[in-house]
Amino acid sequence: MSWLAVLTALAPENVLLAGIVVLIVMEIVTSKAHSSLAVSLVAVAASAAAAALLYSGGYAATPFPGHYSIDPAGSLAKAIVLALALPVLLMSRDDFAQDGQFHILVLSSLYGFCLLLSSDSFLTLFLGLEIMALPVYVLVLLAFKRPESPEAALKYLILGGTATAMFLMGVSLLYGGSGTLSITAFAAGLRSADTMATAGVTLVLLAFFLKGAIVPFHAWAPDAYEGASIPVTAYMATIIKAGVLLAALRLFGTEVVSRPTDDLLAFLPLVSIVWGNLAAMRQTSFRRMIAYSSIAHAGYLYYAFLGDGSTRLQAVLFYLVAYGLMNLLAFASLPPGDDDTSRDRLDNLKGLFQRSPFSALMIGMAMLSLAGIPPFPGFVAKFLIFKNVMAAGYTLYAVLGLVGSYLGIYFYLRVIQYMFMSADAPAPAQRASRRAAIGAGVLCLVPVLLVTVFPGWVLARL
Amino acid sequence: MADAMLLNLVLFLPVVGIVLLLFVPAQSEGAIRWTTFWVMVVQLVLTTVLYVHYDATVPGLQFETRIPWIPAWGVYYQIGLDGYNILLVLLTAFLGPLVVAGAFSAIKKDVKLFYAMVFLIQFAMLGTFVAQDLFVFYLFWETMLIPMFLIIGIWGGERRIYATIKFFLYTAFGSILMLAAVIYLVYSLQATTGVTSFAFADLNRTQLPLSVQLVLLSAFGLSFAIKVPIVPFHTWLPDAHVEAPTAGSVILAGVLLKMGTYGFMKLGFPLFPDATRYLAPLIMALAVISIIYGACLALVQNDIKKIIAYSSISHLGYVMLGLISLDLIGIQGAIIQMVSHGLTAAGLFLMVGMIYERCHTRELSAYGGLAKLLPVYSVFFMILTLASIGLPTTSGFTGEFLVLLGAFRSAWPLHVAGDTLPLAFAASAVLGVVLGALYMLRFAQTFLFGAAKVPHAPVIDLNLREKLILAAIVAAVFAIGLYPDEPLRKTELAAKEFQLRVTGAPIPGSAR
Repeated sequence: MSWLAVLTALAPENVLLAGIVVLIVMEIVTSKAHSSLAVSLVAVAASAAAAALLYSGGYAATPFPGHYSIDPAGSLAKAIVLALALPVLLMSRDDFAQDGQFHILVLSSLYGFCLLLSSDSFLTLFLGLEIMALPVYVLVLLAFKRPESPEAALKYLILGGTATAMFLMGVSLLYGGSGTLSITAFAAGLRSADTMATAGVTLVLLAFFLKGAIVPFHAWAPDAYEGASIPVTAYMATIIKAGVLLAALRLFGTEVVSRPTDDLLAFLPLVSIVWGNLAAMRQTSFRRMIAYSSIAHAGYLYYAFLGDGSTRLQAVLFYLVAYGLMNLLAFASLPPGDDDTSRDRLDNLKGLFQRSPFSALMIGMAMLSLAGIPPFPGFVAKFLIFKNVMAAGYTLYAVLGLVGSYLGIYFYLRVIQYMFMSADAPAPAQRASRRAAIGAGVLCLVPVLLVTVFPGWVLARL
Repeated sequence: MADAMLLNLVLFLPVVGIVLLLFVPAQSEGAIRWTTFWVMVVQLVLTTVLYVHYDATVPGLQFETRIPWIPAWGVYYQIGLDGYNILLVLLTAFLGPLVVAGAFSAIKKDVKLFYAMVFLIQFAMLGTFVAQDLFVFYLFWETMLIPMFLIIGIWGGERRIYATIKFFLYTAFGSILMLAAVIYLVYSLQATTGVTSFAFADLNRTQLPLSVQLVLLSAFGLSFAIKVPIVPFHTWLPDAHVEAPTAGSVILAGVLLKMGTYGFMKLGFPLFPDATRYLAPLIMALAVISIIYGACLALVQNDIKKIIAYSSISHLGYVMLGLISLDLIGIQGAIIQMVSHGLTAAGLFLMVGMIYERCHTRELSAYGGLAKLLPVYSVFFMILTLASIGLPTTSGFTGEFLVLLGAFRSAWPLHVAGDTLPLAFAASAVLGVVLGALYMLRFAQTFLFGAAKVPHAPVIDLNLREKLILAAIVAAVFAIGLYPDEPLRKTELAAKEFQLRVTGAPIPGSAR
């Protein structure tokens, strides 16, 4: 391929790269980077637009054969998740007013995300995963406001490193068995009865479980979510989760998951659903609650890998969109507090409807959708996954998963109860304008309504 | 086609109402109330037009709309009126303005949100009734929970949080199992016929072995039984009723409880006929237990809202008995009983709300001799009490009498054939009528007669608004009691179809 064609094929990545360069230059040249938010917003939006253009043109190419390929499905996923990053950036205005570092790190992480969506070999996949994850370890620590933050970041780093090691170990086993670094070796390993291949597949899968916070590898998530600032938590809950799941999807492709992997793939997510929902009931911190909720949601997401893969991409992508939008909506609408700890307390939500009805309605909607209550998008997403699980013949797991999701309803309702049914509201904290956060909420609201009213239209395009 | 648009308009009018409310400032509470009221009145008028134009001689759906919604799953936005839902739709639309008017003076906090929630629940309830696609039905069915959760939780009494979370968790548990059953049912249809569809008409064609039917009926049935509620799944109801604001209780008793029985009639029994016939003795037993147990509990309550709440359990037991009798008269009676209970329970809850606004207590022993203090109130109260007991010329009589007649008619041949159990059930259900008279008359006697006492003297009698609300309900009660023929004609074909489906007989003229 000519260098121009490579440039075109990698347009989303290149735009992000250009954004990073501009931000770095701005950091060096000016003492106060006034418009780093604007630069990163423009870069991410342009990158998403580029990916959307590649998708709508049906563009497919392999700029680096064997390592890197562009296909419409990958471009679509890039466009969607990059678009989800826009509200995160908007939200960050309150916490990272004009912090250039923050934006450089987020853009780097998104760059890694784009890489892994186009990767064809374990090498590029690994690069993508790590480039996506490494900036986040720093992000958790960045501008930390509470003593627990360094501990949380360290925990996250060590467990993330463990996942990386497991991934590499699994990949080397697969490589040893197949002699190829192509990610198709994973799908072949799923089919094969060879012990080494099975061990490799299992290790890679466990690495993804760890990164996706599946019980019993979930312990880092609550600490990391709580230790990070709100936009970073939102970023981890939506984009990083999406990245991990989509990377797993890249490996699984449309391969049928058969025994013995399917037991692992059904059982641990089921435990996650149940445990995440049970543990979330006891939380008093909003971010910890969302962390446990994300553990449960990771369970539903991995459920989507069961059975034949024909609708896997659709189910995962739809779920990620619904789930991501809802988390972003909730985080963007979170009311201000005196300091980070008090802002995070669930008590801070008490009587929110009296103080700012719009925020309360948004969070309420997000909670109901996360609980999977119709008519919100979370229901259709959950329905799609459980339909597939049922169709794949895992009736018992589907029923148990649904019952597990029932356990989650209570703590979501409790948030609504606090916001709408408690009179004893804390005094409203005085803080700077939250227009950016409200803007982020509105930005999410439009696609939420679209998915609510026309789920069929959206599904047909995934 | 224009008629179909009318039904869509009726369904979406509450959504239009919510949008209208968005433009009314939260401070102008009067404007909010009247906007809501008039939108509800328009809805009632349009629904009445639909009712009048509904052709009782044509089987199947009328005013039908069918638009693909999620084509990949075979989900259609399909709504329509048929003999199953026509009366319930009319009942919902009829109670709408009354609920709104009844809450004029009672709701003082977050008025805008309250009326938006009333609109939302109205939308969800109508949607559940008119939906002809299981997916759409389930969406509306679940959506109902949210506004009710908020109505009880925000405007309710002392223990409102406990009551509303209990309400939500109880009903949601049933729903989640129903969801599993829905997915399984659709998947079986797909596996056996190759058709991916959620349409009721298609699902009715699924052939399932008895064992699967039993599991699925249990899942659907649990969800519906919690909603009805049938003893032993009833414990959320007294809490919800007692803590709910008057409007919440009226919606709950008037319409929401009918969702369960409607679900059994429209989905549960016809979809799984073999399992239904297999479980008929059990369902009949639960129905009779509900009748008697509800009545017994109503007899000993001191909280006037609880008396009506338990009487609801008893009255809905009749509906279940009528449906499971599988006798045409019994089924017809069940439908009338649903409407009749919707009217009398709604009226009684409104009256309880009216006295509560004046005296701020629901303790029965605190009252006495209201007939002397509040003559107009007492007259209305007596009429509704008698209607609840089932005095001839009121709707309650038509419903209960037809149900019992149907139960005996279907039990007698079985008795002759040697199976006495159904006859014993039917006979025990008669006991419920006696108990019903007992608890309602005890209630009325303490309440209206004897030495005059009120906890919060002096009390003033009903104002014009309250009189008009009650007059409308009483008029409807007598209309059904005196001319039962009209509603019975509208539902006859559906009742016949239901009977044939569940008994497994071939259905003439079932086009789809």
